[in-house]
Amino acid sequence: MFGGLTVGSARRLLAVCLSIGVGACAASSTSPNTFRFVLSNEPPTLDWSLATDSVSITVIENLMDGLTRFDDDLKPVPSVAASWDVSGDGRVYRFHLRSDVRWTDGRPVTAGDFEYAWKRLLDPNTGAEYAYFLYPVANAKAYNTGKIADPAAVGVRALSPTELEVRLERPLVYFPSLTTFMVTFPQRRDLIERYGNQWTDPERLVTNGPFRLTDWRHEYRLTLAANPTYFGGRPALDRVVMYVVNERTTELTLYQTGDLDYAQLPPEAIPAFQGSPEHLRLPILRGYYAGFNVKKAPFTDPRVRRAFTLAIDREQFPKILRGGERAATSWVPPGMFGHDPSIGLPFDPDRARRLLAEAGYPDGRGLPPVEYVYNTGPVNTLIAENLQAQWKSHLGVSVTLDNLEWKVYLKRLQHDAPPLFRLGWGADYPDPDNFLALFTADSGNNHTGWANPRYDALVADAAAEADPARRAALYREAQRILTEEDVPIAPLFTHAQNILVKPWVRGLSLNAMEILSLQGVTLEAHGR
Amino acid sequence: MIRGRLLVPFKALARRAVWGLAVLWVVATVTFLLLRAVPGGPFDSEKQLPPEIVANIEAKYHLDQPVWRQYLLYLGGLIRGDLGPSFKYVGRDVVDILAETFPVSLALGAVALLVAVVLGLTFGILAGERPGTWVDRGGMMLATAGVAVPNFVLGAVLVLVVSHRLHLLPPALWEGPRYLILPALTLGLGPAAYIARLTRSSLLDIARHECIRTAHAKGLSPRAVLFAHQLPNALMPVVTILGPLTAALVTGSFVVEYLFAIPGMGRFFITAVTNRDYPLIMGVTLLYAAVLVAANVVVDFAYAWLDPRVRIE
Repeated sequence: MFGGLTVGSARRLLAVCLSIGVGACAASSTSPNTFRFVLSNEPPTLDWSLATDSVSITVIENLMDGLTRFDDDLKPVPSVAASWDVSGDGRVYRFHLRSDVRWTDGRPVTAGDFEYAWKRLLDPNTGAEYAYFLYPVANAKAYNTGKIADPAAVGVRALSPTELEVRLERPLVYFPSLTTFMVTFPQRRDLIERYGNQWTDPERLVTNGPFRLTDWRHEYRLTLAANPTYFGGRPALDRVVMYVVNERTTELTLYQTGDLDYAQLPPEAIPAFQGSPEHLRLPILRGYYAGFNVKKAPFTDPRVRRAFTLAIDREQFPKILRGGERAATSWVPPGMFGHDPSIGLPFDPDRARRLLAEAGYPDGRGLPPVEYVYNTGPVNTLIAENLQAQWKSHLGVSVTLDNLEWKVYLKRLQHDAPPLFRLGWGADYPDPDNFLALFTADSGNNHTGWANPRYDALVADAAAEADPARRAALYREAQRILTEEDVPIAPLFTHAQNILVKPWVRGLSLNAMEILSLQGVTLEAHGR
Repeated sequence: MIRGRLLVPFKALARRAVWGLAVLWVVATVTFLLLRAVPGGPFDSEKQLPPEIVANIEAKYHLDQPVWRQYLLYLGGLIRGDLGPSFKYVGRDVVDILAETFPVSLALGAVALLVAVVLGLTFGILAGERPGTWVDRGGMMLATAGVAVPNFVLGAVLVLVVSHRLHLLPPALWEGPRYLILPALTLGLGPAAYIARLTRSSLLDIARHECIRTAHAKGLSPRAVLFAHQLPNALMPVVTILGPLTAALVTGSFVVEYLFAIPGMGRFFITAVTNRDYPLIMGVTLLYAAVLVAANVVVDFAYAWLDPRVRIE
């Protein structure tokens, strides 16, 4: 590599070699009013137009505020927007911004900052993975896909510094839930144009949330400090230190030696903390399902899909995983609007065997070979082996297992999905649309090959239905088609998060979206 | 004559540099092609992207171009010292990522190498000098254990005993010299055991050689025979393994960096592959290859210094 380096970059490398060495010390962790926890990865980026992963989101959510935010019940409530109106046809939202919200460099946050950020997200040159998030906005998709070149045609406009108008392609009742998500947060055109993709460096990053970034030592540690001018009031914590620790057992060790105030509890350590007041468990909006490729025999027959689903005793999963998982027969997770545990096919081995016989495979005889493929990982292996055993004992069917490395697996799902596979889904926004739109005919996440126009129509109608009772009824019907009649997927269980919190931490708010908000956290006096 | 002797190493060095560059080019080419052959791309994720967005991203990183053009683009960048942008870490160039993480791995690896060489030679010489005694048997038992125990077990045991039970050293993180000790031991004890066994056996081999018997016959003290004659000969195999060992230690270890939360570059040998971060995989592979080539050149010169029969050409 040195052979290929120019003198300049080689000298740069050498200079850093000499200066860093071992002495990367920092007194940051010793200040008493500092909250310390771990990020399981280096954040790939803090540019909220480009970030896609939960680690980056955790950092960004503590640095930035958007138009709306979630309350404890995951309902969107005002944040930078003090209020909003919806036009009679449900297609135009007008957000009225607070006038007292400031960036950390003192400038006011304006509607223009939102307009800029949204158009930047949609600009094809930005290459943003989450650009589709704003596809409900008028002409957003056309602009992002290059069909129109003029960003002025996109349906977002600052009418004044405190008025933001959004025109939608079609009515969307959950739109204020979308504006809680980081990709809709405002951005500073002046700074991004001046610094290019270095604008998120700590010395340059300007934000509007409860904390500001003061230091970022890559692959090791991020340090945040309280933002004294935060419009929601200065947080009680002086600092937040986030260490990048990839190994869960190392995180646990650091928690036990008092170097962390909060830690994720790895599954294998859960029994050791059973009953400890420091152990908290919270269900999250993340589901796990087995998918059928309805284009491949024997799953072309819905009776076979139903039989395989009825033969699963899902109560076994919480017992083998032990992380507070909940068995699920329906797809919309508990804690979300539209959740209905009575929907779906419960464990019924007799009915399963009858259905399989009806389909022409009594006791599994004559069934073509069936393969269940999953991505390599301990949880997936446990589930796969359990399913294999259950199908053998309840249906008399031999299923072979195969596992693939994650990215290889994803490619396989896209191009040639196996007869049986597994996937999960975590909520981007806490609305059933986010879960049910996955299996519409044109969804890139639908690897089952299944398409049902009735289902697609129900999901589309529900997204525009303002009346909650009618909306819930539409989702019930859609879920019945998905998990009782056509059954392209068998929902298995929903996840929970298991965490450890030191007794001196007060006011930590956890939510089912797995966002760790530190704004209200205080630390009691304690001997560390 | 003197001038001629001085010129030889320079010529030899230049020749090796050219060879080294050729090796790096081959490594770059093979790695590049292998990466394109592995299924799964950098932007595949659980949440499937619309095809239009995939097209936007691929255009941004030139992944929409034919492979031969991507290859030429990459080689062109390489010649300018530009290893390209990381696909995973937005806005960070691979050169910057290596410039931040390689020094950490280098510092840790250098200390681990010191541990390996000092402990390995000490135990090897003590054992080889007194074969069959309790020093030899005890030392070699330890060395066998050291070779056999994988470093993730050793590291976990060290953390459990030294940090958890005795509270002597921090269990992880990278805040100062104290934080270096456990990871350096974890990294260095295995190679130390290997060096100890190697030193002992080659000392015993050499002891039966005629030249050593001659030295004894000349009436030299056992200590003088050991250090002046036996050891320089016995060191040859040790020096041989020091080349690859140095390259392996100073470019970091995935296991040790993960276990001790150290911001080095060893992690990228694994994570860059699982992320399909092509430029970063190329970067760490080329850096590793460059260190290996350089270390082997040093080893070649060390041979000549230790053994007058070896001529550098």
